[in-house]
Amino acid sequence: MTGTFAISSSMQDYLEAILNLSEKDGLARITDIANMLSIAKASVSQTISNLKDLGLVVQERYGPVELTCAGRELAVKVRHRHRTLRKFLVEVLGVNPRIAEKDACLMEHVVSQQTLEKLVEFMEITGKTEGGAGAGISSRPGAVENLIWDEGREAKVLRSVNTRALSELQTGEKGKVLRTTAKGPVHRRILEMGVTPGTEICVKGVAPLGDPIEILVRGYRLSLRKEEAATIFVEVV
Amino acid sequence: MEAAQAIENEKQIVVALAGNPNSGKTTIFNSLTGSHQQVGNWPGVTVEKKEGQLVSEGKVIRVVDLPGTYSLGAYSEDEAVARDYILFEKPDVVINIVDTTNLERNLYLTTQLLEMGANVVIALNMSDELKAKQIDINVAKFSELLGIPAVQTVGTRNQGTKELVLQALQATGNKKPRVVQINYGKEVETELAALEQDILSNRQLTENFASRWLAVKVLEGDQGILKGLAKYSGLDRLLVRRAEAVKRLEGLLGEDIESLIADKRYGFIGGLAKEVVTRRQTTEERFSMSDKIDRIVTNRYLGIPIFLLAMWTMFQFTFKVGDPFIGWIETFFEWFGGVAGAWLESAGMPELLMSLIVDGIIGGVGSVLVFIPNIFLLFFAISILEDSGYMARAAFIMDRLMHTLGLHGKSFIPLLIGFGCNVPAVMASRTLENKRDRLITILITPLMSCTARLPVYILFAGAFFSANQGLIIFSLYLLGLVLAILMGMLFKRFLFKGGTSHFVMELPPYRVPTLKSTFIHMWEKGSSFIRKAGTIIFAVVVLVWVLSNLPVGVEYASQESILGWIGSFVAPIFKPAGFGTWEAAVALVFGILAKEVVVGTLGVIYGAGEAGLTAAIAQAWTPLSAYAFMVMTLLYIPCAAVIGTIKRETNSWGWTGFAAAYTLVLGWLMAVLVYQFGRLVGLG
Repeated sequence: MTGTFAISSSMQDYLEAILNLSEKDGLARITDIANMLSIAKASVSQTISNLKDLGLVVQERYGPVELTCAGRELAVKVRHRHRTLRKFLVEVLGVNPRIAEKDACLMEHVVSQQTLEKLVEFMEITGKTEGGAGAGISSRPGAVENLIWDEGREAKVLRSVNTRALSELQTGEKGKVLRTTAKGPVHRRILEMGVTPGTEICVKGVAPLGDPIEILVRGYRLSLRKEEAATIFVEVV
Repeated sequence: MEAAQAIENEKQIVVALAGNPNSGKTTIFNSLTGSHQQVGNWPGVTVEKKEGQLVSEGKVIRVVDLPGTYSLGAYSEDEAVARDYILFEKPDVVINIVDTTNLERNLYLTTQLLEMGANVVIALNMSDELKAKQIDINVAKFSELLGIPAVQTVGTRNQGTKELVLQALQATGNKKPRVVQINYGKEVETELAALEQDILSNRQLTENFASRWLAVKVLEGDQGILKGLAKYSGLDRLLVRRAEAVKRLEGLLGEDIESLIADKRYGFIGGLAKEVVTRRQTTEERFSMSDKIDRIVTNRYLGIPIFLLAMWTMFQFTFKVGDPFIGWIETFFEWFGGVAGAWLESAGMPELLMSLIVDGIIGGVGSVLVFIPNIFLLFFAISILEDSGYMARAAFIMDRLMHTLGLHGKSFIPLLIGFGCNVPAVMASRTLENKRDRLITILITPLMSCTARLPVYILFAGAFFSANQGLIIFSLYLLGLVLAILMGMLFKRFLFKGGTSHFVMELPPYRVPTLKSTFIHMWEKGSSFIRKAGTIIFAVVVLVWVLSNLPVGVEYASQESILGWIGSFVAPIFKPAGFGTWEAAVALVFGILAKEVVVGTLGVIYGAGEAGLTAAIAQAWTPLSAYAFMVMTLLYIPCAAVIGTIKRETNSWGWTGFAAAYTLVLGWLMAVLVYQFGRLVGLG
């Protein structure tokens, strides 16, 4: 298993935002990304550093964020999928464009992998595929498909709604654990302490110096550093 | 010998206590065994071992308190100790203390105890708090579903403990306890069955382990277990099968194997809890009191001031309250030495033997006991901090800062206490669970400038820097702190690389500590210090006495004594630091006894009183070499008491030797650096 990393749906949104920004303005700064997604700058920096670890973006300290080759491919793919779905809803089913936009956002995370593939295929066959950005993809479908879909583990995360790392949650927000990606003793400790898939977690507070955080899990208080919380992916509820 | 032990074991019933940290295990241990306790170390590790005795129904029961753990993997020493004890020592009964206010997480350990095939009796503890929260637990049903006895207890009020002992006694008869199996789901079970077949075909393994438990552990990939199995032969097939099984399961179920297994255990627990727990009110009420306290104590603006206030109070309490007691102890031993000396003289004892008894033995005992007030008071304070739940918050608040220095939030307290006295400071590092964090903290604590170094600073700073005395002394405190931080980073980088440290820590609800457990805790620390570190300190004191009195007939601590020779011999080493005289070297050698002895020794050597000493020193030192000497005094080899304590806390002569060696080298380097640099810029 090569790329054993998680690309949460929020990460996908980031990639798409970076792609759109860099096409529009020529570059994507943290501030612009934060504005576009209406997320706090601190959270954006955290996720960008996760994306950096995954080799999807590069960023010099305080500089603009740039997509790597793999990152660009993935971003294009995400956007393509999103636009194709919207087009399907609008053009084939005749859904109101505003509702279609919203539903497309939800569907791309909920619908099974196969259905989504078939849908895209259908749109391509009927010539209704979203042009431009999609063109690059249809010519070489292999690489990106593998990156996103061939790993059962990733698929599970990709399918969920509003996935975020626990470290991105604000005080008072609740989430349901999807999976934990830490390795070794820390991973086991996190599991033993009851942070297992399906468990509900509520962020209760942050230490005065900004780290660690305090969460409520299984009826008791647990503290963990943000770097550890960044390995726990939750579905915000 | 072995036969005798067998008989001993036969009539004695052994009960082990297992449970999560903060489950009230220690309180139950205390109320079961009262004052009949022994504290020691588990062989080969630094984990504390507590044992006690109780008599019930005419039978003597040996109670062994296992370390508090959340699980029985083998990632920490604590867990390995608890697990090995249950596996290999096979106690008759394991009493599992469960905090019912935190049922699910506490039962995670229970599932593992049951899988191991241990003879478990459950104490459903803190049932009073549960009641206060309007939650009921159906004990009969709980007991029935798990197939083991369960008793409700309130450890702090000694309720239910009698019943608990009775149940444990009854359970000793159960040679084959019903093993409750957690169903890990069809796919996992298929693989487990195959692994278990392999295990059952190996007689070596079936003799030592419960086969299903071992199958689960192997599948889970428990590193400790896999390492432990390495000594058995013919396991290649098992390991290959394991690797295949893990690959299959992870592919099929889309989750890593550890998550799968933990998930199923918690699933089992969740189902159990649903059956036996009834809430009479909404859950939101549960943490109200703790919540309110936390809102203030870990508040963004108030958190740090409150923390600093708590630390200041603890520091003042430990050292200010302790001071008069220390004075009394010192006075007593001086008086006692004088009286004993006079009496021995009148009895016609030879002078040398008399000096051994008075200066060596009585002085040695005194130098051990003088630490007792601080240790008692510090552990009184620490016990309150821990039992109340504030210690976890202190670590929570300080972790950000300490983590950037490569340490853990809990390292703060030992380092702070180090400014008072390094001995209790090294002992306070016990609150760190992770072995690596604990060792680093122990190694750097001696660099914190304790109060015993102060007389040396006052003498030298008074003689040479009377205008800037405060500033000079402050710079030494700062130097110690900065070097401690740098060394900590260095050790983390080079000595302990690869080891991971994490901060996944429970924040237990606030509770009012009981006076009884606070006193027991304090007594344990104090008495174990006397027994363990005390013997080493005593030995060093006597050794130094011997060295300063040989060869026979020499004047005590003169240049002609062996110690004097050593001083003269090492003196040239300190030449580059500016104080290459035998007087300075001897003073430093004696300073190993206790740092303030440096002053006394110089007094003896120069044959001068307090006032004369300043003048004598002004002759032999320059301001620059005096500063270098103070730097040396600050850093070089911790005093005998600290060395003894480090040995006790690390349980290793290797680390103890390392601590002494690196501080010596560091002290010399810094002293030379100060002197040479000072000369370079024209201060010499």
